[in-house]
Amino acid sequence: MKLTTATLLAFASMTMLASPAFAQDKNVTVVLTEVLEVVDPCMAARSDVGRVVLQNVSETLTEFDPGTSKLLPRLATEWEQVNDTTWRFKLRPGVKFHDSSTLDPADIEFSLKRNKTAALGCEVGAKYFGATEFTTKAIDDTTVEVTSNPGSPILPLLLSILPIQPSEDPVDKFTTTPNGTGPYKFAAWDVGQSATLVRNDDYWGEKPVVEKATYLFRTDAAVAAAMVLAGEADIAPNIAVQDATNPETDLSYPNSETSTLRIDATLPPMNDRRVREALNLAIDRNAMIGTVFAPGVVPATQQVPPTTIGFNKDLKPWPYDLERAKKLLAEAKADGVPVETEIQMVGRINIYPNATEVMEGIQAMLLEAGFNATLQMFEVGEWNRYFVKPYPEPRTPNLVQCQHDNAKGDPVFTAFVKHHTEGAHSAMSDPETDKLITEATAASGDERTALWEKLFAHVNDEYIADIPLFYMVGFSRVGPRLDFKPTIATNSELQLSQIRFKAQ
Amino acid sequence: MGSFVLKRSLYSIISLVGLLVLVFFLSRLTGDPAALYLPVDAPASVREAFREARGLNDPLIVQFGDFVWNLLHFDFGESLRRQRPAFDVVLEAFPWTLCLAAITMSLVLLGAVVLGSLAAMNVGKSFDRISSVISLAAASAPDFWVALMAIFLFAVALGWVPTSGTGTPWHWILPVAVLFIRPFGLILQVVRGSMITALSSAYVKTARAKGVRQRAITFVHALRNAMLPVITVAGDQAAGLLNGAVVVESVFGFPGIGKLMIDSILQRDFAVVLAAIMITSLAIFIMNLLIDLAYALLDPRIRY
Repeated sequence: MKLTTATLLAFASMTMLASPAFAQDKNVTVVLTEVLEVVDPCMAARSDVGRVVLQNVSETLTEFDPGTSKLLPRLATEWEQVNDTTWRFKLRPGVKFHDSSTLDPADIEFSLKRNKTAALGCEVGAKYFGATEFTTKAIDDTTVEVTSNPGSPILPLLLSILPIQPSEDPVDKFTTTPNGTGPYKFAAWDVGQSATLVRNDDYWGEKPVVEKATYLFRTDAAVAAAMVLAGEADIAPNIAVQDATNPETDLSYPNSETSTLRIDATLPPMNDRRVREALNLAIDRNAMIGTVFAPGVVPATQQVPPTTIGFNKDLKPWPYDLERAKKLLAEAKADGVPVETEIQMVGRINIYPNATEVMEGIQAMLLEAGFNATLQMFEVGEWNRYFVKPYPEPRTPNLVQCQHDNAKGDPVFTAFVKHHTEGAHSAMSDPETDKLITEATAASGDERTALWEKLFAHVNDEYIADIPLFYMVGFSRVGPRLDFKPTIATNSELQLSQIRFKAQ
Repeated sequence: MGSFVLKRSLYSIISLVGLLVLVFFLSRLTGDPAALYLPVDAPASVREAFREARGLNDPLIVQFGDFVWNLLHFDFGESLRRQRPAFDVVLEAFPWTLCLAAITMSLVLLGAVVLGSLAAMNVGKSFDRISSVISLAAASAPDFWVALMAIFLFAVALGWVPTSGTGTPWHWILPVAVLFIRPFGLILQVVRGSMITALSSAYVKTARAKGVRQRAITFVHALRNAMLPVITVAGDQAAGLLNGAVVVESVFGFPGIGKLMIDSILQRDFAVVLAAIMITSLAIFIMNLLIDLAYALLDPRIRY
């Protein structure tokens, strides 16, 4: 008995000693469900890198606030448009990188060029600047002009995505020790296991409360959630819906993703508007909420989420109307449209939770309406062939399961790629749509907003380019020590400076 | 013996080269790495430039030539995802898996041999029946479910051990325990069956007739002969662990080679896949060689 008791006591005490430290004082532990493979700021458009680096270590010239849909100053204090292609940015004076070098126009030029280096394949450059060329001109130590080709009326917004790196960073390889201007310094990276940020006491802005952040990586979301429950971590920004079981700690947030099925409107039978309308009417969206989709998702009306300018509030989700769907199909058939043609549904495994079940459910609904729908689920590599041009030949009419993220506040990140005839993910060709996209992209202010609204009305009600499903939600588990609410931005970043501690 | 080792090494090198050639070409049929590496929004021009910069536009035979040439210089190339030497990435991960496998298999063999032998000595009795039920349940328990249940019970509810991660010996308890269960159940059954056969053989009866003590009969005379099939099965199980305890590594956040390999295959990170296959194949070859040598050590009738 003595031995047993002694053993248990020893075990307990050693366990306590060895317990992964409950975060002490003003330190936080964040558990991410992706393993950080790179830490270069130019990869910050990837959510794993963004949640660690973006606005914590590396900052951008401007910052989009999805709460107010306003563009805020960050490293640039003010900006103005010089002409159709050029904008002038006033840099915040006295800002220093963590290695004590001073922010200057050369760093802006370097960051823009580096992001477009083919050998690096930077996520930010590839995703947002692929079709744009930049030149810069230093006016003085704190003023820089950026010229883009083609010209962009929303260049300041575009630059809210570009983390500014010092011109001393390596040009042709990723940095493993990001050197930014942000409120946190990159302190350590134990590849595959953890990364650590410490507060930058020389930060130009308000000193944040959190002193140190440790990031741990657990690809299983259930384990990440359990870590917060066990007190080993303070926040798991992205947990699965089935693990979000505790309303006190598990918070949902609109994650800026829109789930859709892309209709190939260039091939029969879906080149007939009636068939595309029937597809939308045949799907019972409400039946999928809280079953195959998480509770809290909102039926979508267009590709962009409501936080985007030009979001058309007048559009209504498609109702479930099986009879009308059948009637439209019959009309189309009577006019010679080959509605019996096989429609290939192309799904992507794990594009979101229950992705396969969603597609199976929709397939059953389409079959019931009279469509000849078949389903194939692919892993991402194969699915990409159907999602991105050039599409595999011979082409067959298909519906492709998609999810699109636009948390950046402007439809320009969506409209061309999804709806323009030349768009990389587009499966439609409509001169009116192309015209509206071109006009809206070139416009600014209220005119821009109105043109985007007009575009979405046209694309979704008149033309019917997609089957919008839902504005998706994500779930975070936040430990009881923290005063933090996830927002739409949590999908792509996690600003430590926004985290507070509850009064003890 | 020396010529046997040499011959086996030669065969293994031929197999390894064949495997690498096969994986090199087959993996390139599975899709375009640029499509997976770059964001889906990246324009075609960016994809093209990326492919060009990485040599992915070169004819396959040219890519293979480069690969072989680099390999002759012990260079597996650079990881597409991590932009670091692929061999370094693999060498960082492999020790974790090796340790996990070594600790687990040592415990499995110890536990299975002792309990399996005891079960064989008590065939049909309560101990035998209980151990059979437990081992069968263990052999058929899904790793994933056991791992999550173990975390919720021992880490969250009881707070005895950390949920996951690395850093202290306590972090190893749950992963090793979960990995232990299945091979333990399987090998225990093999030990039991093999020992029952050995204990009913003529030489055991002779030993009993000569008055040798039961413990000596079991653990000296019978066990040595019963170990041959056990070693075969244990080798097979250990090879499975060396190839990567993917589920356990994923659930417990162990940065091992199994998870690395799966991720690299999904991301078409060819250099890492090839380096990982090379390392694990070498490890399995060495282990198989040791198993063959162990046969000869245990059974004097086996000579190479």
